[in-house]
Amino acid sequence: MTRRAGPAENAALPMSANPSSLESVRVLIVDDEPPARERLRSLLGELDDVVVAGEAANGREALEMCAGLEPDIVLLDIRMPGMDGIEVARHISALDDPPAVIFTTAHDEYALEAFEAQAIGYLLKPVRIEKLARAIRRAARVAGPQLMRIAELSQLGRHRSQICARLGSELRLIPVEDVFYFSAGQKYVTVRHRGGSDLIDESLRALATEFVPEFVRIHRNSLVAVRHVSAVERSTDGHYLVRFKDCPETLPVSRRHAAQTLRQLRGDH
Amino acid sequence: MSAQPPAPAPAGDGRSTYLPDFCEARTVLAIVLVAALVAVVLALARQNVRAEFLTELARVSVYLLWTSLLCAALLCKTRPTLAGLSLRASSLWALAIIVGTVAVVSECVYWFGRLWAAQLGVASSFFPERHWSFLLPNLAIAAIVGAVALRYFYVAFEWRRSVELEARARVRALQARIRPHFLFNSLNTVAALTRSDPSRAEEAIEDLADLFRVSLNDSRAQITLREELEVARIYQRIEQLRLGDRLRVRWQVGELPPRAIVPSLLLQPLLENAIGHGIEPLPEGGTVTVDGHVDGSEVTIEVWNPVSQVARAVRSGNRMALDNIRQRLELVFPGRSAVEVVESGEDYRVRLRFPLVLGNSEPVDWK
Repeated sequence: MTRRAGPAENAALPMSANPSSLESVRVLIVDDEPPARERLRSLLGELDDVVVAGEAANGREALEMCAGLEPDIVLLDIRMPGMDGIEVARHISALDDPPAVIFTTAHDEYALEAFEAQAIGYLLKPVRIEKLARAIRRAARVAGPQLMRIAELSQLGRHRSQICARLGSELRLIPVEDVFYFSAGQKYVTVRHRGGSDLIDESLRALATEFVPEFVRIHRNSLVAVRHVSAVERSTDGHYLVRFKDCPETLPVSRRHAAQTLRQLRGDH
Repeated sequence: MSAQPPAPAPAGDGRSTYLPDFCEARTVLAIVLVAALVAVVLALARQNVRAEFLTELARVSVYLLWTSLLCAALLCKTRPTLAGLSLRASSLWALAIIVGTVAVVSECVYWFGRLWAAQLGVASSFFPERHWSFLLPNLAIAAIVGAVALRYFYVAFEWRRSVELEARARVRALQARIRPHFLFNSLNTVAALTRSDPSRAEEAIEDLADLFRVSLNDSRAQITLREELEVARIYQRIEQLRLGDRLRVRWQVGELPPRAIVPSLLLQPLLENAIGHGIEPLPEGGTVTVDGHVDGSEVTIEVWNPVSQVARAVRSGNRMALDNIRQRLELVFPGRSAVEVVESGEDYRVRLRFPLVLGNSEPVDWK
């Protein structure tokens, strides 16, 4: 409660941050169950200064709508097929001007403990209208590191199923199983995948930790997907090269990583 | 939900006994077999002393069968009375019955032998010659063997009871486990329907009530397949409201005999697993198939669902439910049931097999 007084609250949201504004708060509802969306929509309809900006039935739709509709608040269900709520929130937190997130769940013992510990807003379904109103008044952005912590504590969203890349305002979701490799450049990391390549604003070190053991570090600046590697070859000058099944490029293995790389790649083949 | 009625005493109302039912055909058969085997052992042990092996075998068999079957008959008749006594008193009485029977049979044999000898004028080696040296060892053997047998029955009974208790505890744990998610999600659905479609909300509440009534019932309850299928369908209706088109269930159960006896909550947990682990993780949903058929005297029911790549890892809840079903089927059909899991790349299939036992009448149970 004390943190409400702090300046950090400036990041927190529209009504309190901007009391003079007469605009309504725009809320995006994300839930895979139609009755659950219906209920939130009808409750939000009873609140003043709140409008429903849109409804999404899964994580992918939610991210597209976040980018396109620019809502102020996202009401995000935790248990969803494909991409769970924690993963969606992680992608949202990486947006330029991310909306605030309020999680909703019917029952999630471990995740809720984690939310309490991280002071992140959540609502239990069936949601009471007073609690919904209060949560919307207090809604705040959720930071990436907080979500990482939750992912660790709750077993949810620990390994993302998609990598999110941005091209201007457009959002591109790349399924992790389509990624051949990540390679670090000057400022960004390049994701090479089935559909081409994209830049993402993440560190190679964090990616390596997140995607153990499906991805293996073969060089200071590259991380390859074990499932896509077809061969490790020795070149004439004694260096090792990694070759992929459906990708023409080859990547060098650094001396320092050679022994470990060979062990990991061969162990899995 | 937390106010559960206290569990009923495991074997009824306290008038329980560890003694098996000696009137049962299986018990009688076991007694005859054991008596025959003991007779063979005794005959083998004695044959080189004097008489021929077969004569010795016949002599011992006749004696042992008379005693053991008479003991069984007496214990069968007195069992209800013994059940009312304390553990110590009933054990002592049972032992007294065994020793007493042996005494009476031995006396009869001895006097019959004497009569036989008097008639023919020669003593037959088939019958005992000396009175006390025949009677006293027999009584001692009866006391020892009787005590050992009673001890065995007691230990077997205790073991069986602990297995039953454990099974019941597991059911309770399972009930506690399935509730929260399902309950709150269903309540949320009902809350939404209350505004938009009150009559469907009403139906949903009726369905929930039926389902919870069954799951709060005594976990040892046996119901007919018709009732169990009805419970599974009620469960499906509730999940259908929540999942909409994503959930499709194909019922191929027309061939199943409606009156077959099954432990309650046999299919519903399978359907719950199939929906929770198979359908919910799939954004586009999928089809759960329930397929049942009868082959001679065996019922086979299969439940299968498509496998989501993502949810493959989370299987512990599933295994717990299967162990639980396996255990409860085993209690109803000892040694004659099976729960198998067949996992291929695309689907996950659970197969139940158990003997066809028909309930005698239309049930008056929960409905």
